[in-house]
Amino acid sequence: MKLPRYIFPILIIAALFGGYFLRTAFTQPSTNINYSNETGATATFIVDGLKCKGTAAFFTTMYDSVPGIVGIQTFATEHKAVITYDPDKITKDSIKAIMETPVLFQDGTREQVFKCVSIK
Amino acid sequence: MKIRSRYIRYGLMTIILAQVIYLALGLGARSFEAYCPFGGMESLWGLFTAGEFSCALGPLNLSLLISLIVLVALSKKSFCGWACPIGFLGELLGRLGGKIWKKRPRISAKMNFRLKLIRYAVLVVALYFTYKTGELILRGYDPFYIIFSGFGHGSAGVISVIVTVAIAIGAFIIPMMFCRYLCPLGAVFDPFSRIGLIKVTRDESSCTSCGNCDDACPHDIPVMTLEKIRHRDCTNCLECVDACPERDTLQVRVEL
Repeated sequence: MKLPRYIFPILIIAALFGGYFLRTAFTQPSTNINYSNETGATATFIVDGLKCKGTAAFFTTMYDSVPGIVGIQTFATEHKAVITYDPDKITKDSIKAIMETPVLFQDGTREQVFKCVSIK
Repeated sequence: MKIRSRYIRYGLMTIILAQVIYLALGLGARSFEAYCPFGGMESLWGLFTAGEFSCALGPLNLSLLISLIVLVALSKKSFCGWACPIGFLGELLGRLGGKIWKKRPRISAKMNFRLKLIRYAVLVVALYFTYKTGELILRGYDPFYIIFSGFGHGSAGVISVIVTVAIAIGAFIIPMMFCRYLCPLGAVFDPFSRIGLIKVTRDESSCTSCGNCDDACPHDIPVMTLEKIRHRDCTNCLECVDACPERDTLQVRVEL
């Protein structure tokens, strides 16, 4: 069967859009940490500075010993962190304040690594 | 008036290149790296072993890889010839080289075959180190990352400069040098490209064997001697179809 040459741009655009929409089929995170088996409320934070597995791992260490944090999932390519927390022990604003706390570097300087862009 | 396929290709690739530059400038919701289909290959090990994506990779890398494999199984490596921004830049450099250097060295078929083995080695090395470390430690040698990140975080300094310059000079001398001999995504596509249903076919009865198609093919595929272009490297760029002086001798068809 003969085809017009326009078939290629049509197929490519269809494949690119198809791939874009297919992404929702994969929900695996960049990091996934559960501090306890409790259930709690979840909040989604869009975080500037959360851009790879390394920064995501560092992000989670900021909550290692914070009471009320049940679990953290990070999605680096979307700059997103989904945090499960106990609303009786910690609030969304407190969680935001922790991630925006300036970090002490080895050279003695302090710098803010993450900035919360939005909370849902 | 018949519009040359090249202009349609260049139009589409310019739009895609502009989109990648837009993302590289940090104007999109995601990094440009999130759109690299080879990232889908690199993330497979992390997904199978830990259920997590590696480094700066995510669902979009994997979903694009899957959709492009389906595309390649349908229409051979049309992604490479009609969409890939690195292929586009390489092709433009190759055309510039052709205008300046009229008599470029022609690689023999035997040497061409041997050199193509390099991309399988690149594929193995890239996957081995990514799977072993969970990091994209070879991004400093990846022209897509180096160019669009502007030698950003993870670049290998002087080595990245040398790699980029060498690939640019290579593209200048040998048409599609990176795509033909170095691109690991091309190696991933190879088996699927062989079964690509939509391909260029040649009508022997009307072919005058002028050789224009052979000369036009940027991948040095001997179009003039083939009835169906099943070659794994064919990107369906249609340069051969544009170059053919006979009407309907070279056609795009669905063929097994």
